[in-house]
Amino acid sequence: MRYALLILLFLAPGLARAQAEALENPGAVSAIQERQYRMNHELYLGVGVLPADAFYKGLTGSVSYTYHFSDTFAWQVGRGTYSYNIQTSLRRQLERDFDVAPTASAFEDQVQWMVGSDLVWSPLYGKTAVLNSSVLHFEAFLLGGGTVVKIDRQDGFRPAINLGLGVRMFSGKTLSFRLDVTNNVVFAGASRIINVPVVQLGTAFNFGATE
Amino acid sequence: MTSRSLIAALASAALVVSPATAPAQSGGGSLPMPPPPSGAKATPGAASKPAQGAPAAASGAKPAQGTPATAKPGEAGAPATGTEGTAATAPATDKKPEAAAEAPPPVPQKVDPGVFDQALKDYFDGKPRAAAGPLYAWLQAAPKTDDNYAWAQYFLARSLIDLGLTHAGASYLARIARERSNPNVIPRALDTLKDLTDRPHDDVMIDEQVFGALDLGFLPEETGAYAHYQQGLVDLRVGNERWANTHFAKLSETTAEASHAKFALLVTRLKQVKEPSDELIADFLGLSKDEKLTREARNEAALAVARLRYERQDYTGALEAYNLVKLPELDPGRASLYLEEAWTRYKLGEPRASLGILTTLDAPSFRDEFLPDKYLLRALIYRDLCHYLPAKRAAKELTRRFADSLEAVRNRDDLTQDIRLRRAANSHGGTQRASRFVETLDLEGERLGRYAGSFGDRLFTHLTKLYDLSRAEAVRVYDARLAEAVRQEADTLLRAAEQVRLMEYEVGLKLYERVKKGAKLVAPEDEQLLTPDSVAFRFDGEYWNDELKSYRVSIESRCIEETP
Repeated sequence: MRYALLILLFLAPGLARAQAEALENPGAVSAIQERQYRMNHELYLGVGVLPADAFYKGLTGSVSYTYHFSDTFAWQVGRGTYSYNIQTSLRRQLERDFDVAPTASAFEDQVQWMVGSDLVWSPLYGKTAVLNSSVLHFEAFLLGGGTVVKIDRQDGFRPAINLGLGVRMFSGKTLSFRLDVTNNVVFAGASRIINVPVVQLGTAFNFGATE
Repeated sequence: MTSRSLIAALASAALVVSPATAPAQSGGGSLPMPPPPSGAKATPGAASKPAQGAPAAASGAKPAQGTPATAKPGEAGAPATGTEGTAATAPATDKKPEAAAEAPPPVPQKVDPGVFDQALKDYFDGKPRAAAGPLYAWLQAAPKTDDNYAWAQYFLARSLIDLGLTHAGASYLARIARERSNPNVIPRALDTLKDLTDRPHDDVMIDEQVFGALDLGFLPEETGAYAHYQQGLVDLRVGNERWANTHFAKLSETTAEASHAKFALLVTRLKQVKEPSDELIADFLGLSKDEKLTREARNEAALAVARLRYERQDYTGALEAYNLVKLPELDPGRASLYLEEAWTRYKLGEPRASLGILTTLDAPSFRDEFLPDKYLLRALIYRDLCHYLPAKRAAKELTRRFADSLEAVRNRDDLTQDIRLRRAANSHGGTQRASRFVETLDLEGERLGRYAGSFGDRLFTHLTKLYDLSRAEAVRVYDARLAEAVRQEADTLLRAAEQVRLMEYEVGLKLYERVKKGAKLVAPEDEQLLTPDSVAFRFDGEYWNDELKSYRVSIESRCIEETP
């Protein structure tokens, strides 16, 4: 009881002050604007890398189509990525100095291409001041979906779960730039999974957005 | 907003009318010019077409062996502008010009005729600093009848303008236009003068004494159009609409001047009628969409429409007209525009939107604006929503913020010394133009000091005197306008202060009003602030220019129902 009184005693000035403030400056001010950039049919072209595998690095080219149901929810109906793989010096060294066979299981995990589909949720939409002279609008999104990955072996189709996040910078009503960082969890075998992270930067063309 | 809005409409419209811009360049490329000396490089901005039948080269011309002795520097070199003339009669505040006037005129020196060629070469080589002194010396020695006399004046003017001494350059160009000694030079001089009207300039010397008094027969089409427009304006100002129409009728419908002229005519008609007709408003509306006008002029036309509709209590129409005002991206806009829109929304029964716009007026961009009505409107809104304490506070804020100014008015002090009233007076109309011109003269006067060495004593002394006299006259004009303008601002302040006192009294009564037993709060209005197409950025004291038009306040009414 004594403690409760003590707590009340401490809280009282704060509450009184808040009430006085509300009395003096009633109301809450917001800047309410029409959303300047709205997506509808999105065609995406991008380039990226598969940076994680120690035996190769993939340089990727991607294309995708996304339909935006609303400002916050979209379906990336289809995406396809082709990877041009470059062997790392580690792999070359292993093959040259230690006679590791090129068909070794780890070598055969390299991704050749993949296709998939994702759901996209964009909870953040905001703007930022650039050099105090212009305003740049952006949105951040999370995406998740499924992928079919073709890896470098016979009968190399593997299912994968794709999870990631991204940010989109709006340049105009029809043009925006996207940075996607995703990870494909590939089920390579019965009890073996491999992670294929992808970092992509691309241009998105928007069609059919209302002005 | 009261009936003074109409006056404000007229005043702001007049703003556009008098400093009319001259966007179009005349196609003077084919006009004859003195040939650039051999080996000279053409400079950008310099007139570079060689002349056909151009004035004789100076070496060929004989700049009078005997004349220098009789030529007076004041006549030959110094342009006797209207400004100077009036300034001479004004009480001189500076001792320097007096001393200069008392000193005997320097004896003109003989100048080698080759000086003109060399100066011209320097000019075309992009060395206006080197060209100015010799051109002035040559002008002093040469007779006015010399073929190259006007050309020398023109290139001296161009050199001075290139060096940032626009007023000095303009005074030489004005002299060419008045003397008309060489018809080939005049169109170029007028074109250059027309360009100078975009900046703060001596409107008596350029607009009235040159463009307002030109013989229009010989002018190229575009320069002629501008001159017709200016002369029409002069006629309108003295109340002769018929004469003005004669000038305006000669303007081609496709020119910007024609649209400006139409605007000026509408403003004049607006002054003459008590109740503006629908047709007049429609004409203004048409101008607000006229692409030939500058954006600023279109905005003024839209504002005129909005104000006229407001006066007719067509608040929805007024709001539509305010929306026609287009601003450059991230431009904060004008405080008076926001305040007028706030009044319109208040009258439309949108107190929350109105309060949001008042939030805009607290932005740093508008902190120094003189808007006594702002406090009154805020107090009215709070009172209407039964927030009596904030209403009282908002009302008191006016008397607190303008305490010094109100005190100065009560004490009958010199109001031009009051910082707030002075700033308010300087922010628009003729006072603003006069103030900017004085600033320009100050700046150019300082700039002139940098050229003391390269101009030579004679040109430097002459220009110093020119700037001193022009500044004295400009200050005189500014002071006269300022005195009138601060009086008007003080009137505005006093009216607002009076209304605020009434408001304080009314709110005081409401504060201590007895609430009847069983009284209920008025049911809150359904206000949909956020539609699915909108985004909301909560305001936390940081103003973003792109949000200034978008602030909305969410506030509940605390009023109680009259009958419980």
